[in-house]
Amino acid sequence: MSFGSAYLTLPDFQYLKPKSLHDALHLLDEHKDEAKVFAGGVGLFAFMKERLVDPRYLVDIKAIDELQTLSDDGSKGLTIGATVTMNQLLEFGPLKERYTALRDCISLLSDPVLRNRSTLLGDVCEALPYVDGPTPLLIFDAEIEAASVRGRRRIPIAEFIRGVAEIALEPNEIAVAVHLKAPPEHSKSVFLKQTSSSEFSIVNVAALCANPSRAEARTVRFAYGAIAPTAARVHDVEQVFRRKAPVSQLIDEAVQVIKKAAEPMTDVLAKAEYRSHILEVLAIKAFRQLIGS
Amino acid sequence: MVQMISIKVNGVDRRVQINDNELLLDVIRDKAGVKSVKAGCWRGECGLCTVLLDGKPVKSCLVLAVEADGRDVKTAEGLAPEGQLSKLQKLFVEKGAMQCGFCTPSFVLTAHYLLSVNPNPTETEIKEYLSGHICRCGTYKQIIEAVLECAR
Repeated sequence: MSFGSAYLTLPDFQYLKPKSLHDALHLLDEHKDEAKVFAGGVGLFAFMKERLVDPRYLVDIKAIDELQTLSDDGSKGLTIGATVTMNQLLEFGPLKERYTALRDCISLLSDPVLRNRSTLLGDVCEALPYVDGPTPLLIFDAEIEAASVRGRRRIPIAEFIRGVAEIALEPNEIAVAVHLKAPPEHSKSVFLKQTSSSEFSIVNVAALCANPSRAEARTVRFAYGAIAPTAARVHDVEQVFRRKAPVSQLIDEAVQVIKKAAEPMTDVLAKAEYRSHILEVLAIKAFRQLIGS
Repeated sequence: MVQMISIKVNGVDRRVQINDNELLLDVIRDKAGVKSVKAGCWRGECGLCTVLLDGKPVKSCLVLAVEADGRDVKTAEGLAPEGQLSKLQKLFVEKGAMQCGFCTPSFVLTAHYLLSVNPNPTETEIKEYLSGHICRCGTYKQIIEAVLECAR
């Protein structure tokens, strides 16, 4: 793509701004692939300027009250509506207290001005390998709630992102909310990432731990992203930390399990070998922060 | 689709004819005639096109003009009465917080917003909040000094 006028303008489309979810779903059912849903537009508009996406209809969902939901149901978990901005999330107390990994992830995304527009679900639906949002969502067992004229369904985050820019939504569905399960009591979580010079992540990790000092009750979760086409949880790590052994030994074992599970890719941002090394570094750092060394 | 929208720009109600695919950036510059809003990267990275939309900073190269229908847009021109400068704007001048001046209106706007929500920011908070703005002349040090001084 040359740096010509096409790069600066958006292709032609018809702008639609439904006032209710009912109206939005019917519009989408009518236009299907010809329509694109947007809230912040931060990712979508960039792709449209490059003419990589060229929808006939653009459906703005920001006037739909229901999608602005942001609620903490204590022991049940957290619900984040599709149009809640990143800055609204950063200002939301429960996120800081109990969902630290997600909070830290968001605070490192883009910049404060863009975060007045960008949304977590927008980030997730972009589904590019370097997108950070899915990784912390994996350790909170998040589910994406999708709605269509036929009803609603919930899709676990691990199944929602299928590949590069490929998500489990049907053309007539809207991702209306993401639901996070409440983490175990007194658990702590962290998010760490390494970016390329262009600020895209080449490796990110999220980890959670409850009861770090009691092996039999110790709960550890770990996920990585930006390494391969999709982010992934490494469930095998969880057994490792239940064993009674010096923590440093358990961390070493866990890192081996993680490196075995990951299949790092080589792309324009980084080589597979480098990603593998950084994954090890970040995983050790995350576990030491949560469990000690 | 061509349609008429109403935008309040720096306190003045404007009715402008737009196309659905027009960016707020282009409409503010070319149809409302406000030239302090600059076009830099066109993809949300440089921050030069920042405006305050209903009081909050947004990058207008990533906002549709139609989204601003019925809303309030403020630019650097709107921070003080005609012919005057706000305290922060004066401090940018005093501290030499610019060289070519191309990015200055955007830094002023975002810093203005930061001070309105956080009247006593630390240097770290200022750096973090202005991190979506690029000054290719490299006058960050003076910009931070101007914002810190304004908060004092």
